Amino acid sequence: MGADTVLKAENIKKLIGNYEILKGINFSVKKGEFVSIVGASGSGKSTLLYILGLLDTPTEGKIFLENKEVDFSQEKKLATLRNRKFGFIFQFHYLIPEFTALENVMIPMLKAGVDSKRAKEKAEYLLERLGLKDKILRKPYQLSGGEQQRVAIARALANDPLLLLADEPTGNLDSLNTQKVMEIFQELNSEGTTIVMVTHERELTRMTHRVVEIKDGEIVEETTLV
Amino acid sequence: MKGNFFISLRLFFERRRQSVIATLGVVIGTAAFIVMSSMVNGFQKYFLEEALNINGHVKIFVESTFREDRILRKVYKEGVFLVLGAKPKSVKDRISNYREILSKYAKDENVLGITLHLVGNGVISYGVKEKPATFVGIFPELEDKTLRISKYLVKNNLGQLERNKEAVILGIKLAEELGIKDIGKKVVLVSPNGTLHRLKVVDLLKTGITEIDKSRVYLHIKKLQDILGKPNEVNEVILKLKSADLAPVYAKRFTKETGYRAESWQESFKNFLSIFKIQKIITRSVVFAILLVSGFGIFNIIMMTVLEKKRDIAILKAMGYEKRDIILIFSLQGIIIGVFGGLAGNFLSYGILEWLETIKIEVEGIIRAEGFLLDRSISYHLQGFIFAVLVSFLASFYPAYRASRFHPVEVFRSGS
Repeated sequence: MGADTVLKAENIKKLIGNYEILKGINFSVKKGEFVSIVGASGSGKSTLLYILGLLDTPTEGKIFLENKEVDFSQEKKLATLRNRKFGFIFQFHYLIPEFTALENVMIPMLKAGVDSKRAKEKAEYLLERLGLKDKILRKPYQLSGGEQQRVAIARALANDPLLLLADEPTGNLDSLNTQKVMEIFQELNSEGTTIVMVTHERELTRMTHRVVEIKDGEIVEETTLV
Repeated sequence: MKGNFFISLRLFFERRRQSVIATLGVVIGTAAFIVMSSMVNGFQKYFLEEALNINGHVKIFVESTFREDRILRKVYKEGVFLVLGAKPKSVKDRISNYREILSKYAKDENVLGITLHLVGNGVISYGVKEKPATFVGIFPELEDKTLRISKYLVKNNLGQLERNKEAVILGIKLAEELGIKDIGKKVVLVSPNGTLHRLKVVDLLKTGITEIDKSRVYLHIKKLQDILGKPNEVNEVILKLKSADLAPVYAKRFTKETGYRAESWQESFKNFLSIFKIQKIITRSVVFAILLVSGFGIFNIIMMTVLEKKRDIAILKAMGYEKRDIILIFSLQGIIIGVFGGLAGNFLSYGILEWLETIKIEVEGIIRAEGFLLDRSISYHLQGFIFAVLVSFLASFYPAYRASRFHPVEVFRSGS
């Protein structure tokens, strides 16, 4: 395993009932990479992302994070790793409706034990960076779809994650907002953020370094673009 | 923890309508608990305090030991139980060694005072009205030193019994029933052997306890000894102890040591105490029911919140919040409801109790009062607050636990 490998999946299998969703996936991500995972609906790409993000447990196989094997039996440790090492972005923004944009971004930092003043400052900085300076005190319902997704990206970046995991991040956006989100991803990646993005929109993969195609729970093709 | 508290507080204030409804239930429950406890215990405390002030903690008296089967028991031990129609044998109703009792127990560190009584029944008449009464012959000074009788006298004329042997103090209710409105009137005491004695009413006794105010007549012990034809006789020794709780132990000891029957106040008021116990159980049950209903209210509201917030719980878990954090977030909401509800309930009950204290109504039953008898102990407020927080916490715990069990992937997959 190379020193620059931040995440490695070894022979990952996932069974739900009798149905084998993932059939022995081997996959790794290097530091600073922007990888896209593509595949048809039901191919297992989201399941793989959930396992990579330690949200789900594999039926078989191992995950190595920064060259250390992840112990899936220790829930507390998994939660800490999710909080410190990963940033998640989903198709739906999943912002907490009662909280302002600023508070939504602060939540992962508060869990990490960051002082609330410091968390507020950082949340303000991230939202400003994503073009939401004048909307930090708005609640999710007062923001457009694209703005909501940008708040979700800011939230994912709150704890300076090792890896940004995005599951169909543009699935709910129009073309203009899709473009904006992808530009943000590219900018973040150029600054060193490692990103793994699951999508079914093939044209988006052109903006990534590597494309991994999954079909029926297996990697069928891997293309390096850069 | 900081994050959990922050999320909990925000959810509480942002979901205002649900929070207010849940809190209102707790407010009502807490206020009901405090007001009802204050009223019920106020009444009971008042009754016991006054009754003990007048009657003392332990009474030593001559017990009628007559049993219809006593002769046969002597011969056949346990073989025979009852002979019907046996002729009752008269028992000398007096405590002969009262001086010895007085000097012996007066030295006991737990005995605050001892007084002597001669008690007899008779009739008292005023004009054409006649009423049965309990005559209690007392040594006025000793009586007042031991029991606080002068506290209950309308004119504070206890000393007159000492100076004027023809003086008598009547229970205020008895006086009312006889038609006596003020002191100075002459009444006639009819002794059990039929002799008539004209005495002057020098004061009225107002304890608030109907049974006492309706039947008791105090006069100097010497006078009553004359009336009843029992010179130098005493048939009751009354003791006041340092603590009312010591009474059963001391009663047992007195019975053993004096050879007379000694009865603790707990035994004398056995019937009242069991009524009070039932009263307390009923009150607690009502309050428990109210708190249970408010608990269900909280349970429903938090359960609804949890179900509505599945997505938020899932994303919190994805962001690293643990099961323990989720339980804390929703349990804290219950605790916040309990704290706010408990505090508001305390203020509300304080207002209600203040208002009740201003109400003047004639209450007449076991006791006679001119308003609500309230026990304003701070402990009811504390208990009410603790119950409120506890019930709210318990009611929120299961929904919180349920929330902690949500699997984020299942929620994300369902797209809910």
